[in-house]
Amino acid sequence: MFDFWSILRRFAYMLFVMWVVATIIFFMFRLMPGSPLTAFIGTTFTDEQHDLLVQRFGLDKSLFEQYSLFLVNTLKGDFGLSFTYNKPVIDMIIEALPNSIILTLFSLLIAYIFGIIAGAYLAWKRATLIEGISIPIVLATRSAPEFWLGMIALALFSFQLDIFPSGGTSAPGVIYASTLDKLLSIDFYHHLILPSLVLALYLQGLPLLLMRSNMLEVMQEDFITMSKMKGLSSWRIVIYHAARNALLPVATAFTLGVGFAFGGNVVIETVFSWPGLGRLLVFAVSASDYPLAQGAFIFLTGILILMNFLADLMYLFLDPRVSYKTAN
Amino acid sequence: MVKRLTTIMIGVMSSILITFFVNSATAEEIRSMKLWAREQAAGPAPHTAALIIAQTLTELGLDISVNAVPWPQMADQVWYKRADPESSWDLTMWQMVSRPERSDPDEFTYNLFHSSTAEKGYNFIGYVDPAYDSLAEEQRRTMDPAARKVLIDQAQQHLHDTAANAYLVHPLLNFAYDNTQFKDGSAIEQAGLGIKNIWTYLNIEPINGNQDIVAQSLDEIQAINPFFISGGTDSWITEIVWDRLLRIAPDGTAQPWAAESFNWVNEQTIDVTLRSGMSWHDGQPVTSEDVIFSFEAPMDAEIVPMYSPFVKNIESMEDLGNNTVRFNLKSANAAFLTSSLAKLNLVPKHHYGPMLEALKGTGNNAETLIEEKRIGSGPFKFVDWRLREQVILEANSNHFNPPKVKRWIMKEVPNVEASLGMFRKGEVNFLTDYKGDPTVLANIVADDGDITLVKSIDVGFQYMAMNQRRAPFDDVNFRRALSLAIDRDVMVNAAWNGNAVKAGSHVSPALSYYHKQGISEFETGVDLAKKILSDAGYTLKGGRLHYPEGVSEKY
Repeated sequence: MFDFWSILRRFAYMLFVMWVVATIIFFMFRLMPGSPLTAFIGTTFTDEQHDLLVQRFGLDKSLFEQYSLFLVNTLKGDFGLSFTYNKPVIDMIIEALPNSIILTLFSLLIAYIFGIIAGAYLAWKRATLIEGISIPIVLATRSAPEFWLGMIALALFSFQLDIFPSGGTSAPGVIYASTLDKLLSIDFYHHLILPSLVLALYLQGLPLLLMRSNMLEVMQEDFITMSKMKGLSSWRIVIYHAARNALLPVATAFTLGVGFAFGGNVVIETVFSWPGLGRLLVFAVSASDYPLAQGAFIFLTGILILMNFLADLMYLFLDPRVSYKTAN
Repeated sequence: MVKRLTTIMIGVMSSILITFFVNSATAEEIRSMKLWAREQAAGPAPHTAALIIAQTLTELGLDISVNAVPWPQMADQVWYKRADPESSWDLTMWQMVSRPERSDPDEFTYNLFHSSTAEKGYNFIGYVDPAYDSLAEEQRRTMDPAARKVLIDQAQQHLHDTAANAYLVHPLLNFAYDNTQFKDGSAIEQAGLGIKNIWTYLNIEPINGNQDIVAQSLDEIQAINPFFISGGTDSWITEIVWDRLLRIAPDGTAQPWAAESFNWVNEQTIDVTLRSGMSWHDGQPVTSEDVIFSFEAPMDAEIVPMYSPFVKNIESMEDLGNNTVRFNLKSANAAFLTSSLAKLNLVPKHHYGPMLEALKGTGNNAETLIEEKRIGSGPFKFVDWRLREQVILEANSNHFNPPKVKRWIMKEVPNVEASLGMFRKGEVNFLTDYKGDPTVLANIVADDGDITLVKSIDVGFQYMAMNQRRAPFDDVNFRRALSLAIDRDVMVNAAWNGNAVKAGSHVSPALSYYHKQGISEFETGVDLAKKILSDAGYTLKGGRLHYPEGVSEKY
């Protein structure tokens, strides 16, 4: 089943892609208009301070020199210090990561579980009124701007009905001894529900429609007709035979979705004041905080490529039609 | 005879005609120009103002288009490309925001217009005027307030007469608090800053079971570090965790705080006596050694770069004993009290001394100090900071002026509407960073009935700047025409929706002592501007304004 060399080749491609992405990121930020020094402009900003900053940011070196340093440091795992926060970039990413991952994974799970079941159900309910109403609703949730959905949810469930808190990961004034304590507290999950439901509402469109269209295709297959002829119950046909086969693309989408989960979602994070990686990224780019932006983007790229690779491998197990054996 | 007369007539007529054509051929058309501004969402009022201004200037015969870009790009263009002949800027919207140290007019009077800061400093407009330079330098040296006021009045008038900037408005600051959680009227207004200031934090009375101030901020907090000037929001925190020798009082003057008293021995020597009985948050006593350390550390610009300009004028310091420290200045500076003694944070030598020593030679500076304890002597103690979420401070009961609340909490809420909703709900009880539409806030206050809104005139201002290195802005008449064409009432009412007052100088009416009476009232109008332009030799041809004869632009 495994062809060692082709997997190794895939791995080499991964490294190549990482290098290309890192290079593009490096040059992209430096060629963008704006400079990291504009954040420091003030009435008492002196020449000496300016020169010190230029030196500290390494901007006095030639572009090629900066690039080589950047590559070497990245390989060592050193993403440098953030220009604005003066903290190690790695620390900042790791601090923001649990918040992002938990939010998006939660939302993904809710979205996918709901989407798969609803998608299978709607495929079964082909050409009925239920389908006629549901599909436009699903499309509407997918097209509606997340910001708007979030603000409505906030206004309704938080401000009007006061069921959920309106932002952050905890009530004001609460102190946790450690991140783990925070992640295990009820308050954290109370704050998590609204943002993850809103995000799930947006995300469920994809698995639902994907599952439904795959199911419709699979239901046309000969082996389904065969099962019907064999007299199997509809339940058994739908779940055991059809759904399992229709799930493959959804599984891939889920794996990729997990990869994107690491990047957080800047819109949801802004509406619900959630301190995730999405907001951090947007801030880093707009402030021209090169180390932070580079570090965060490379980190995310790495995760995405890894998840992509895992998705590929997963297919090997799930779909016996796929094999990495080279043709003779 | 007739033939000769005719020839002479033809000769005279031709000369007149030739002169006419030659003159009109040398009158150059003024180029199309861009007015830089921030995007609508980032600053709706200045953006609207820019659109109105562009329209107004078009009536004068200029071709102006508004170029709305994010702040970093705008700053990059205006600041770093200020003298670049090819790609420099012509007109830009700009602003100065309120800060406590701006209660003394020196910062704006000097740093914004003195020729020494034109090349790389804050005089990015390129205003170079030797007469003004002497005014700015003299006001800095004049210790007697009455004499200094005369000079600052003159400075304001001079800048107005030479149209250094087109001042538009001083915005109104809007702050609100929940009056079911705080006693109505117990907040204190500080000149030019509104009720968001340390005096309010110390004085506001919590009621109905409430014990804390829960404030909000739209921006991220970057650092809580007494050696780092990292941003407006960060300074709200450093201001109350660390003390200063003096503080800016609600009336805008620098008054003793950690110092018991101060005495000017002569123009360049000041003795400051430290209040006795003060202790750091870790229990150790505050001594004159700590005071000297606090002012010495920033003198090393490599270790504490941000604060080093504010101690540059200090020649030396002596410990005179009896808790008194003598500061010997290099030159007399009337703003020393505000710009140094009321600005530098007092830090414990026993805690920060070793840390700063360890930094020497590492290539890092004090801004990279990340520590758990953060020890100061201020009325609030640092407790906890969950990055990008909230900061918690606790009242320091040992302080000589302890607050009435138990805790000062600040939540980071990056979304204006969410912060408003939280405030109405009571989750946040002090609206400290509202950047939305003031009309919306006013309506909410009217609807809810349990909110106290306080509007105050900002010490800062909003203006349109002109790049005076480039023609036609090097002509004072052209600048005056542009500035006077803009109707300031329209600015206040149409762009700022009534949430501002007219501005005519860099000294806000909030600084009632130094603001020149009547400087914000002046005649404006397109007709007035047109007259100034035509008197100066500018002409309109084909609807476009042309330079006077012989003047050309090189761009």
